[in-house]
Amino acid sequence: MKRVVITGAGSISPLGSGVRSLMEGIASGTSAVRYMEEWAGYCGMNSHVAAPAELKDEKKIPRQSRRSMGRMSIFAAQAAEQALADSGINISQVQPDRMGCIIGSTTGSAISISKAFEIMLFKKDLSLLPSSMFFQCMSHSAAINVAQYLGLTGYVMATSAACASSLQAIGTGFEIISSGKQDVLLCGGAEELHPSVTGSFDVVFATSSKYNQTPHQTPRPFDKDRDGLVCGEGSGIVVLEDYEHAVRRNAKIYAEIIGYNTCGSGAHISQSDDKSIIRCIKGALNNAEITPDEIDYINAHATGTIQGDKEEASAIREIFGDTVPVSSLKGHMGHTLGASGAIELIACLLMMDKGVIYPTLNLDEAASDCSGINHVAKPVKKEIRTVLKNCFAFGGINAALVCRKH
Amino acid sequence: MNEQEIIDITNKVFEESFEIEKDRLKPEAHIFTDLGLDSLDIVDLVAALQKSFGVNIRNEEKVRNIRTLQDIYQFISAIKKEGQ
Repeated sequence: MKRVVITGAGSISPLGSGVRSLMEGIASGTSAVRYMEEWAGYCGMNSHVAAPAELKDEKKIPRQSRRSMGRMSIFAAQAAEQALADSGINISQVQPDRMGCIIGSTTGSAISISKAFEIMLFKKDLSLLPSSMFFQCMSHSAAINVAQYLGLTGYVMATSAACASSLQAIGTGFEIISSGKQDVLLCGGAEELHPSVTGSFDVVFATSSKYNQTPHQTPRPFDKDRDGLVCGEGSGIVVLEDYEHAVRRNAKIYAEIIGYNTCGSGAHISQSDDKSIIRCIKGALNNAEITPDEIDYINAHATGTIQGDKEEASAIREIFGDTVPVSSLKGHMGHTLGASGAIELIACLLMMDKGVIYPTLNLDEAASDCSGINHVAKPVKKEIRTVLKNCFAFGGINAALVCRKH
Repeated sequence: MNEQEIIDITNKVFEESFEIEKDRLKPEAHIFTDLGLDSLDIVDLVAALQKSFGVNIRNEEKVRNIRTLQDIYQFISAIKKEGQ
């Protein structure tokens, strides 16, 4: 089996464009959550907060590449460009059929899908459909747009697994490069805000609704006063590379991926459960051939929901007790859904590099049902050699990835 | 609608829908080789011309013969005259 390393990172997040903005926002304890005035007209919507990312410089992407991109694909293309530049890879110097991308999202562009439905359902006039509308709506929209834009001709795939999409993309990329079938894969995810996206959580009362007038105070992962998640948007892309390929070109190596696992809960369509999370994490540790005490930091999924945080805390407590520091980055930038695994993994890579663990924003007092684990309340200086990243999704999907500092 | 109005409206479609600079919009400009449009763009061009001129040209066979901006000006002019 080949060893797989991460040699590049790029992100568009609610905290700004680029990895530096992401880390500055996290380090300074900034909240990107705001009140969404534009959602006031939606009847029945309880949550009116979100963490938007800024769409900018999109015209730097040539029109014929951009026309098939919805908002999330533009985020993905920009994050992919950043990651590629960061890796120093020149695409023309990689064997064409050995470099591709795996980029996931919950759906295609929610904004474009909404516009297409408006035309089809209300105007009922197909001549009003732009030629590229479908390419913005497809579930693999981010992957194909990045591949076309950058000219990637190896594997092009999309993992559509809601909030686990990008961690599944990275895990799948790890497995494919491990198997020797690809040398380089740009992996990650993308997502965009839309009332229908927040609405999908709102209808099952999983969103935060008590902090509409004080948006910076929510979400509150693991906190006793948490009341639900807040949707964010953006894209995170990492460059995965065969270790020997990376060494040959003298690449900077952030970390090695040493373990991955994903599984279904078989328990409930919307509620996560600790038993399957335990099974998922243990599978990732087994895959990495390490014991729980070798994990230095756990970057939790913890979105701030009543039920999900409790189950994740229970699983962490069962496997790690209260020894391993745990934090969630959702308090800073909300839940970037299909992009969250990649964006938050990138933050982990930079924390590893810097030797500091950043705390969970808005975690003032751990809830009793989330206690018994080592919550990080303020920045902790520590050598981080091995990190566990968790992601869980609607549908009972769990994913866990283990990275080791190179 | 006079000839100049047809030229101005058509050129505006190319500027706004296809982000083509005004100084490249010469009557003899070939819409594929000079202005860089492709088959998908033609779908959007037809939709934009329909909206801008209030005409229905989606199923017009003559659309397939359009090669230059001048061809479009003449085509729209003819369609408008037929409409009158």
